Amino acid sequence: MRYILERILLTIPTLLAMSVFVFLLIRLVPGDPVQTMLGFRATPQNVATIRHQLHLDEPLITQYREWLSALLHGDLGRDYVSHAPLSELLRSAIPVTLELTLLSMGLALVAGVPLGVLGAQGPGLARRLTDGFVIGGVSVPDFWLGTLLVLLFSATLVWLPPSGYTPFTADPLANLRYMILPVTTLAIGEAAYISRTTRGAMEEALGAPFVTFLRAKGLPERSIVYRHALRNASVPIVTVAGIQFGVLLGGAIVIETLFGLPGVGRLTVTAINQRNYTVVQGAVLVIATLFIVVNLLTDLLYGWLDPRISAGGER
Amino acid sequence: MSAVAIVAPVRRRLTGRAAVGAGILAVLVVLAVLAPVIAPHDPNAIDPSRVLAGPDASHPFGSDALGRDVFSRVLFAYRVSLGVAVGSVLVAMAVGVPLGLLAGFYGGALDSLIMRPVDLLLALPALLLALSLITIIGPGSGVVLFAIAVIYLPILARVVRGSVLGVVGEAYVIGARARGVSPFGCMVRHVLPNSLGPAVVQASVLMGFAIQIEAALSFLGLGVQPPTPSLGLMLADGYQVLQQAPWADIFPGLAIAIAVLGFVLVGDGLRAHFDPHGVSR
Repeated sequence: MRYILERILLTIPTLLAMSVFVFLLIRLVPGDPVQTMLGFRATPQNVATIRHQLHLDEPLITQYREWLSALLHGDLGRDYVSHAPLSELLRSAIPVTLELTLLSMGLALVAGVPLGVLGAQGPGLARRLTDGFVIGGVSVPDFWLGTLLVLLFSATLVWLPPSGYTPFTADPLANLRYMILPVTTLAIGEAAYISRTTRGAMEEALGAPFVTFLRAKGLPERSIVYRHALRNASVPIVTVAGIQFGVLLGGAIVIETLFGLPGVGRLTVTAINQRNYTVVQGAVLVIATLFIVVNLLTDLLYGWLDPRISAGGER
Repeated sequence: MSAVAIVAPVRRRLTGRAAVGAGILAVLVVLAVLAPVIAPHDPNAIDPSRVLAGPDASHPFGSDALGRDVFSRVLFAYRVSLGVAVGSVLVAMAVGVPLGLLAGFYGGALDSLIMRPVDLLLALPALLLALSLITIIGPGSGVVLFAIAVIYLPILARVVRGSVLGVVGEAYVIGARARGVSPFGCMVRHVLPNSLGPAVVQASVLMGFAIQIEAALSFLGLGVQPPTPSLGLMLADGYQVLQQAPWADIFPGLAIAIAVLGFVLVGDGLRAHFDPHGVSR
């Protein structure tokens, strides 16, 4: 309990520092960000009004206080290009990104963990296969892999749509059809990392004295590998999955753009290209917060998987 | 690792994977440096008669939507890719290694002073950090190099600090102190050379990923700007004509994968080199 509380309290300074960074983002743009954002046809009054709305005409500390207190009340500001409130834009974009990244992580775990276990205990061929998969998965850029999948499954076989999106609530089947290619694209690279970590951790666990003991006790190998060794190997696997979630969030930025998914990543890229700074700010804030929350959850999960960590002992 | 161990592995030949990786990289560097000599065509020459034309003897990778020679463009794009990869890691090492060394060697208040801000940089997903910097400064290859260096700095500082912590307690460091070597001299002459190994391994792998990051940013239109040939830009253009001219997309993609492969293999080999017992795996 103390461990959980400590971990949660430790994320508060991180969140605050991140908020300062996101706050400064728009203020560090050289020249007048409002003028750049509105384009050169904007009237001086317009620019002045928005500068005032963004509190850009006040001292920096006041600006930050105003911005943070609005943020804590759920007011992220508005998009000065489409005039929609940012919270509305993000509310429709966040589920897309979450669906993409969570499905990818799930698929990567389902594929990567068994592959890693097989590589650790299997014959030389299994080792070589996992080796090749890991090196290939790491080397091939994910967005190019996505292109190849489009070439095969959309252009040649015409099985799946190359891009587009339907909300899950509107039509679950159509939603999944649009999701298959982007999810697979992100998951393949991820599965490579997960299988490498699993293999390393399993090799270590299978060489540990407790496994020798279980073998001597006559436990079936299946139960030793999957029930005992895998549980022991799960801490590094969870660590890597947690760290890699940030990589997935980054990957989602490119993959959403490639597959035309209206998620937070594509929102960020479009906004940067349009110099739509308030939207960039909101999107960066959301992705960074997601990342910090996932890191926290990963830490909490360790404590549950390995009670020695939450007890504060040395591992 | 003792002071002798750092000398011994250098004499050992790079074997297996590392040799393959080093071979790949050597070929790519030669291709990039000699691009103006080797390239059969001007990478930016537009040829209306060869729009989306397939590969042939004088255009081994075919032509793109503007009739430009894909092979020549790949050769020139390697200059940007490899330049950004090596440049960003060198910049990150130049700042990150001293920071990690100071933090690990002196510890205490200096350690917190250095590592707190470094850890905050790790609190953002790498690509997002790069995008934020590009939002502020604007796109361009120099900005991409700088952005990747900023992403890598905390990683390298962490790695160096970790290995310094493992080295400061070694007998030869304590011995040097007892001989009257100043703390600073001790840090530079004994601790630094013996804690660089893991950073060098990391640097090689990071160079590979830098190629992917540069390509991804350019693909999004936020990195290298046209008409400079860049592998990421070529993939963005190639995606538009994927069905009519897959070669305009496949060859630049392969070019990225091969370069990353080279760096990853070298990194793998170096890891085995510096850490033959697989401790840091």
